[in-house]
Amino acid sequence: MSILELQRVSKVYGEGDTEVDALTDIDLSVNRGSLVAIMGPSGSGKSTLLTIAGSLEEPTSGDVIIDGARVRGMSRNDKARLRRRTVGYVFQDFNLLAGLTAVENVSLPLELDGIPMKKARSKGMAALEGLGLADRAESYPDQLSGGERQRVAIARAVVGERSLLLADEPSGALDSVNGESVMRMILTACHGGVAAVVVTHDAKLASWADRVVFLRDGQAVDETLPPPSPEELLNPDVPKPSLS
Amino acid sequence: MTDVLDRIDRRPPDGGMPARRAVTRWAWRLLRREWRQQLLILLLITIAIAVTTVGVGVSTNTPLSTYVGFGTAHDLGTFQNNSATTTQKIDSWRALYGRLDVIDNEAVTVPGSVNTFDLRSQNPNGPYGKPLLTLVAGHFPKSASQVAVTSGVASLFNLHVGSVWHATGVARTVVGVVENPLNLLDEFALVLPGQVANPTNVTVLFDATRLAKGTSNVITPADVSKGNLLNPQTISIVLVTMTMLLIALVSIAGFTVLAQRRLRSIGMLGALGATDKDIRLVVRANGVFVGLIGALVGFVIGFVAWLAYRPTLESSAHHVVGALQLPWIVIVVAMALAVAATYFASTRPARAMTRISLVAALAGRPAAPKQLRRSAVPGIIFGVAAFFLLGVAGARGGNGGSGSLAIVLGFVTLTVAVVLLAPFLLTVLNRFSRSAPLAIRMAMRDLARYRARSGAALGAISVGVLIAMVVIIASAARFGNVLDYAGPNMASTQMIIYTSNGPYGPGGPGNAGAGNGAPAKSIATMALDAHSIAHDLGSHSVVTLENTSATLQHAAPGRSFSGPVFVATPQLLKAFGIKQSSIGPTTDVLTMRPGFAAITQMQLVYGNYFSGSKGGPITGPTAWPCPKIDCLANPSIQQMPSLPAGTSTPNTIVTEYAVHHLGLQPITAGWLIQTPVPLSAAQLSGARATAAADGMSIETKSTIPTSATIIDWATLAGILLALGILAMSIGLIRSETAGDLRILSATGASSRTRRSLTAATAGALALIGAVVGTLAAYLAMIGFSRTSALDGLHSLTSVPVANLLMILVAMPIVATVVAWIAAWRDPKGISGQVV
Repeated sequence: MSILELQRVSKVYGEGDTEVDALTDIDLSVNRGSLVAIMGPSGSGKSTLLTIAGSLEEPTSGDVIIDGARVRGMSRNDKARLRRRTVGYVFQDFNLLAGLTAVENVSLPLELDGIPMKKARSKGMAALEGLGLADRAESYPDQLSGGERQRVAIARAVVGERSLLLADEPSGALDSVNGESVMRMILTACHGGVAAVVVTHDAKLASWADRVVFLRDGQAVDETLPPPSPEELLNPDVPKPSLS
Repeated sequence: MTDVLDRIDRRPPDGGMPARRAVTRWAWRLLRREWRQQLLILLLITIAIAVTTVGVGVSTNTPLSTYVGFGTAHDLGTFQNNSATTTQKIDSWRALYGRLDVIDNEAVTVPGSVNTFDLRSQNPNGPYGKPLLTLVAGHFPKSASQVAVTSGVASLFNLHVGSVWHATGVARTVVGVVENPLNLLDEFALVLPGQVANPTNVTVLFDATRLAKGTSNVITPADVSKGNLLNPQTISIVLVTMTMLLIALVSIAGFTVLAQRRLRSIGMLGALGATDKDIRLVVRANGVFVGLIGALVGFVIGFVAWLAYRPTLESSAHHVVGALQLPWIVIVVAMALAVAATYFASTRPARAMTRISLVAALAGRPAAPKQLRRSAVPGIIFGVAAFFLLGVAGARGGNGGSGSLAIVLGFVTLTVAVVLLAPFLLTVLNRFSRSAPLAIRMAMRDLARYRARSGAALGAISVGVLIAMVVIIASAARFGNVLDYAGPNMASTQMIIYTSNGPYGPGGPGNAGAGNGAPAKSIATMALDAHSIAHDLGSHSVVTLENTSATLQHAAPGRSFSGPVFVATPQLLKAFGIKQSSIGPTTDVLTMRPGFAAITQMQLVYGNYFSGSKGGPITGPTAWPCPKIDCLANPSIQQMPSLPAGTSTPNTIVTEYAVHHLGLQPITAGWLIQTPVPLSAAQLSGARATAAADGMSIETKSTIPTSATIIDWATLAGILLALGILAMSIGLIRSETAGDLRILSATGASSRTRRSLTAATAGALALIGAVVGTLAAYLAMIGFSRTSALDGLHSLTSVPVANLLMILVAMPIVATVVAWIAAWRDPKGISGQVV
């Protein structure tokens, strides 16, 4: 079932002489449990696609449907509710809220959605435990390492019943080991039924995705299934691509 | 297609209370982390509330309250005796108004002295007079043969509980020690009601909802209040209102800076699903927290300072002041205003935050500054309205009811005018800077283009200067009034010893019944002791102060003459280096008060002028010319700058010529002792003990500041306040224009250009703020003074030029230089608070 659908989505910035087509007629469908990577050069529209997919920005034309709900025409509060309940974000620079501990950061979307603090907190703790961060739950963001911060951000993005995870260069500020670890967690979330869209420059990380969409000048120029990963090659149950 | 939003869900659609709680908790944590960024606002509120707490406490308790005689009554009637007419009138009041509290007083002379005390009959449990009596020891009289006395009377007659006292021909047993807690100078002997045979004064306390037509001899607190122009409460309310407006303006700028700095965090909050209401709540909760903390900390500091100062206040005010005897309503209103000011100040940036797109917020891109298209017309209209409102306040005395309201409204309107006019003036400045060097031209253009931002900062700076200038002008006008001369009483190297029965001594007319209990000595004995005290203090300058019945009065509306009028004896003239030859042969009065000699409609009154035994005053003190009986219209007044300036010192004296041709009778009032070095506390204590043994009293330098001190402090406070606001505003502008400055650097502009840009911005804001604030203050004071009967427009000319230059010239220069120095480093970008 499709969690995210972009139908002929276009985005134009500016007016007249300063008009720029950031996205042009993008169609994209992401199913529950699948991981889609978006790649492309700088300025190709990757981040714009992600913000539109997450209802942070309105497309100039086209439709965005998230978990069956058409975003166009929604009030600001309805969009906020949609984000609270369905969409989780992970950004390159972590974006944890200073002043809140790791567990408070994770449980915040739940509290914003009206879940009482204690209940939200226990769910937040569960999410952190799932990512191996239970012992860091009471630490403030500035007391965490880069990798830990991004894991907390992922926990926040998947806590509750979120079904769509949008990640913008989630490993961009991390070393390769931590970057891989983050991708593994996103993949784990997908195995749990979450649909994920990840913007990345790193082809190696993109190889973790079920599908890779290439953007250039705001247009989807290619879409491909990635080559099998080393893990898949060693797994006898996974069908191997034909060499012919 | 299923719409998830249509699913049945018990969670509130906007997150409800859990969401509010989570957002408020975050706001609180951020405040704890980033309190330094809000230090200026916190400091302003803290200081404002602390000063308000102490200020209103002192101002409402310092003067021996003019209402103390009322007890808990609303109306107070007085009679000079208890004749049949008086009794009839009291009976009629009882019939009309119900309960009455009648207090009889008989002034009794202390044997061998001119001192008096009151024999008082009063019901200790009377319905209205109860607050006027406190039992210190023993019990209240229960029979006609019992009496309770104050400690002063007990000391005077060497009485104690159990003593038998023969006073006014009656033997009474002393059964208690009492006091009037509202006036510790009130010395009396308390007997049962009806035991005062020949009262010289009968006070009747009662509550009349409405006084019957033709009722005379009755005053109300409002009547007392009418005579007290510009009372401390009114001044407190005006200052509190102005300060809160300033705090609101500064807070707007402060919270805008804060919101900009938290832009990315707030963007993230929105991305997590926070509603607009939640986002606004973050900024508003911050505002409320800042207001609450500032108000509470300010109150605690103020209250502790009040408790520490209270004993000193009791001693100087001569009445008991309770620890909780504060005008709580004013304090609570001030605290509530502080919270309201910060809440409303945070509302604008809070709304602005929700207008920024989440994508821009997440990227840390502030919204493009809004251009402001506003003409100067609304500002001018508000300015004119303020001028007339303050005129109304001046005409009504600026006191009580509508007068106070007019003052408050006037200043609020004036503040609005300043805030509205500030952006317009930036445009004017920009027009004048078209041919200026690049950096200055750019700075002025940016200020003019983004007036919504810079206008608020300029408004706050202007209001800061306005408050300081109002204090400066008002202080200069008040202290510069040569008639109602105010200021320090004397120098720290001076002391006056007053004779026990002189006009200014403890037993003098102004202090009836306030004797210290020591038996009065002869003038010769007191003179010997005064010289002995002077010798102990190392002084060789003892000037005998002689006094006559003469005093001066101004036969015109407004302030009247205040201060002692001593006699220009040869000894006094010599002590201050005045040669007899320098005095005009027909000069009546010498004065050091500048401009006093030029005042018209002055009259020298003496003898029985006030008692009316020779027929005057028939037409009141402002009658001009006064009747020639015991009154000299237009006395010849000569300025003599070498006379001392203290309010208690002989700053205005009658010449021997006047003494002779008016037939005045000089008596010794005291001795002025001048010492080579300032007097120590131990010396003062020793002198006081010696003087008290003779029944004399001493006066030394009081703590009243000079006008120069007040004006200097106001100048400094105004400059610091304006510079503080300016620093914050420049920080905001630089953070918003960080990108522009980087581009400027990238295009080859040197650090000199960047620094010039910042310095020009700071200098321009400081200069316009100083000019606008000063002009607004003069507008306010002219509006008030032109209709005020107290101080006319001429009183506004006495502001020291040096202080004006400090604000108008030095402050902009300091702002420019400091900005130049501080701008050496590259501006920080909008710092993300997210990690």
